[in-house]
Amino acid sequence: MFLHLQQTSFQYEGRSFSLQGVTLAVERGSLTGLLGPNGCGKTTLLKLMAGVLHPHGGTVVFDGRSIATISRRELARHLAVVPQETHPAFDYTVLEMVLMGRHPHLGAFQLEGPDDLAIAYDALAATGTAHLAARSYMSLSGGEKQRVVIASALAQQPDVLLLDEPTASLDLAYQLEVAALLARLNRERGVTIVLATHDLNLAASLCHSLVLVRAGRVLAEGATRDVLTGAMIRQLYDVEADVRFHEASGHLTVVPIGRAQ
Amino acid sequence: MAARAKGLIVVAALAIMATGGLKVLTTGGLKASGYQIGTGAHRIISLVPALTEMLFAIGAGPQVVAVSSYDDFPADTRTLPRVGALLDPDVERILVLRPDLVVTYGSQDALEAQLASAGIRTFSYRHGGIEALFQTMRDLGAAAGRAAEAERTAGAIRARLEAIRASVRGRPRPKVLLVFGREPRSLQQMYVSGGAGFLHDMLDIAGGTNVFADVPREAVQPSHETLLTRAPDVIVELHTTRPIAGAEIARERAVWSALGSMPAVQNGRIHFLNGDYLVVPGPRVGAATGALARAIHPEAFQ
Amino acid sequence: MTVSQSAIPRVDAAPRPIRARLAMTVLSYGGLAVTTCLLAPLVGSTSISLSRAFDRSIPFADNIDAQIFFVARLPRVLAGALVGAALASAGVVLQALLRNPLATPFTLGVSAGAALGAMLAISFGTAVALGPLSPVPLASLAGASLAAAIVYALATKPGRPMSTSVLLLAGVTLNSFFSALILFVQYMADFAEVYRTVRWLMGDLDIGGLAPIAAVLPLVVTAFAIFAMLPSSLNLLSVGADIAATRGVDVARTQRLAFLSAALATSAAVALAGPIGFIGIVVPHLVRLMTGVDHRIALPASALFGAAFLVACDLVARTVLAPVEVPVGIVTAMIGGPFFLWLLVRKA
Repeated sequence: MFLHLQQTSFQYEGRSFSLQGVTLAVERGSLTGLLGPNGCGKTTLLKLMAGVLHPHGGTVVFDGRSIATISRRELARHLAVVPQETHPAFDYTVLEMVLMGRHPHLGAFQLEGPDDLAIAYDALAATGTAHLAARSYMSLSGGEKQRVVIASALAQQPDVLLLDEPTASLDLAYQLEVAALLARLNRERGVTIVLATHDLNLAASLCHSLVLVRAGRVLAEGATRDVLTGAMIRQLYDVEADVRFHEASGHLTVVPIGRAQ
Repeated sequence: MAARAKGLIVVAALAIMATGGLKVLTTGGLKASGYQIGTGAHRIISLVPALTEMLFAIGAGPQVVAVSSYDDFPADTRTLPRVGALLDPDVERILVLRPDLVVTYGSQDALEAQLASAGIRTFSYRHGGIEALFQTMRDLGAAAGRAAEAERTAGAIRARLEAIRASVRGRPRPKVLLVFGREPRSLQQMYVSGGAGFLHDMLDIAGGTNVFADVPREAVQPSHETLLTRAPDVIVELHTTRPIAGAEIARERAVWSALGSMPAVQNGRIHFLNGDYLVVPGPRVGAATGALARAIHPEAFQ
Repeated sequence: MTVSQSAIPRVDAAPRPIRARLAMTVLSYGGLAVTTCLLAPLVGSTSISLSRAFDRSIPFADNIDAQIFFVARLPRVLAGALVGAALASAGVVLQALLRNPLATPFTLGVSAGAALGAMLAISFGTAVALGPLSPVPLASLAGASLAAAIVYALATKPGRPMSTSVLLLAGVTLNSFFSALILFVQYMADFAEVYRTVRWLMGDLDIGGLAPIAAVLPLVVTAFAIFAMLPSSLNLLSVGADIAATRGVDVARTQRLAFLSAALATSAAVALAGPIGFIGIVVPHLVRLMTGVDHRIALPASALFGAAFLVACDLVARTVLAPVEVPVGIVTAMIGGPFFLWLLVRKA
């Protein structure tokens, strides 16, 4: 097991929502989706995995070590997060945004050198955004912005990439672009990917394994084809859906039919 | 606070542009309101301490029924009702006391208008130099029905001033820095007399040359550089709200030693005078001028 | 809320590496600051003879030119440089902390606290003093510290990142509350004291000696030592607190250090020269337009430019209407106001 949560519980202050006794495991090199309706706890789980939040009970283990024992900087060298939205307060260029991903690898007063620059450009190339390097981040389109943020996460040279709703605010073309990028990163560079999403078809098309989350509990965990069934979807979303294998695309598709009675 | 300060800054900036300098006190000649200054008033309320003093000096004390919050001379005023001052005159109290003459500051337009609509005469005071002081005394005397006494009192003060002038005549006139406000232990935020106003006039009579005689304003806030350049021979500090004595004087004297090139510092000619009367443009101006003269020309008054 | 720079065409498409840019920035802005500080004492409302000023054979107490140079002008220039650098840097840091380019060093209530302290000292005329500092700077320092402490306590929970919205609200509330107290004290005080407070609010660099600078120097040095540690963390923090954490930034610690250093620098500056406005917002904006938004370059550049800027403003303040001196806060306001109008017009 590469990254896993063991009997982890967490509660936000002053809110009734809580995660209770969640246990889930992410294999090295896998492409896993955290799937569930809004408010089910997917983002909380991601934050716990990233060490941004600290569990009240249980442990989060990365590569055999509890992440509570790993320094923030060291963890950042292995694990990178792509948030749902990124709104910098100042007008950074694309290159500056991506170079910030080198922070965990630099010493306290160290400035990035030619190696870091090379890594940044490589990350830009991997996300197809090298031509935007000198542009202002804020002037980009939604899809371009998302790819730049992914590039800045890649600049951290992580073993694990955590993404929160990576395609939620994107147009269809960009959704497909980002999905293809993630698949390629997983396939060619061996990056372990965990993404939180409520998009059933994205989960179906992209993820090898799924963790279904509802109301702070894990409903099911396993390979996509095993877990993504009509019965599971009914339990997860209270929705009747038709799940079938789509020949032309090569993966499962989910067609919602109506609300469950 | 930032917004208010900025607002004040803008206003002050405009003032600088328009008038060529910041003014501490209003200036200008004396003005009486447009009512007939004829029959004497019997119930007088005075908002201006200097004019209260004048009223008492010319024998109109018994006619005064109320004074401002800041009045405390002569002692009789301490038992009189108070009706506020420049910024916060209590119109209701004033009306309740049924005055037939109210002495106001020239800038209190709103108050004057209110009193006028209640049919009450106002005597509007505008600050000025010593000549203006005498004119005010005469006009006030007429309004209070004490014209003759006012004339006599004014004459007596004038005579006293002339005597002082005579005592110092012929003596070399040192350059004098007349300080009327200063931060303790610091030479910043200092207010000195400029070349206009009654402090300047008093200094002139007392036999001194104002180092800022060329600045046509009542108050100047000099920088260290300006002080060094003007190089006064004598420094006189007026302490009015809180008397200064003993160890404090030594401490404040030491503060001036930072500007050691000034003749006043080198010759130890730094004088500290205590008392409200020093800055009230009223009947005690003779005593005030005398105090100044004794500080500047001690040998003339042995 | 962000200020877009995309309207300005970038001169070089491939930016120079940061080491070179940082070196160039420090050299050029440093040169500007040093030149300004060397030239400023030579200029003034009076003309002095430099050769006489430096003539050791004349006893200092008799040498007017030396006194003007060393007692009147030099401390003033040094104070201007210190205060300018402190306020400009504090502005940059607070803008990053609050993720808002319109934040100023006075946003978090520090200047209102300082003003209240000063007002109380002026009104109640305390003869209490500590060494070379007269009561007003001391009281303003105490007031500033109190305000900072209150805001800090309100916005901090142990081990948790600060809430920037609570910080802002706390600062604004404190500003209002202290302003109300100031108005109350003003109402009870007499007119002369009110005027003195208003005058103090306009800023005054004419400190007449090096002792006040020496007194606040420990605060300023501490603040700048912390400033030196912050820039790369501030970059990440200004992109987002969570994302900064996942890149190895100790968010809570960075926020606290940013707040502490900015409060220290601002308190020291205000204690020395009163609350001089606009430096903390004009300089960071101007500098960012010239150097870009990377804090590792913008922060040192702002400090150096702030020093030069305030010294230049003070030069104007003490010469333009000689022998009358314009309070330096008015000069900075007259430059700052139109600058912001221009910024707004450009944006629209």
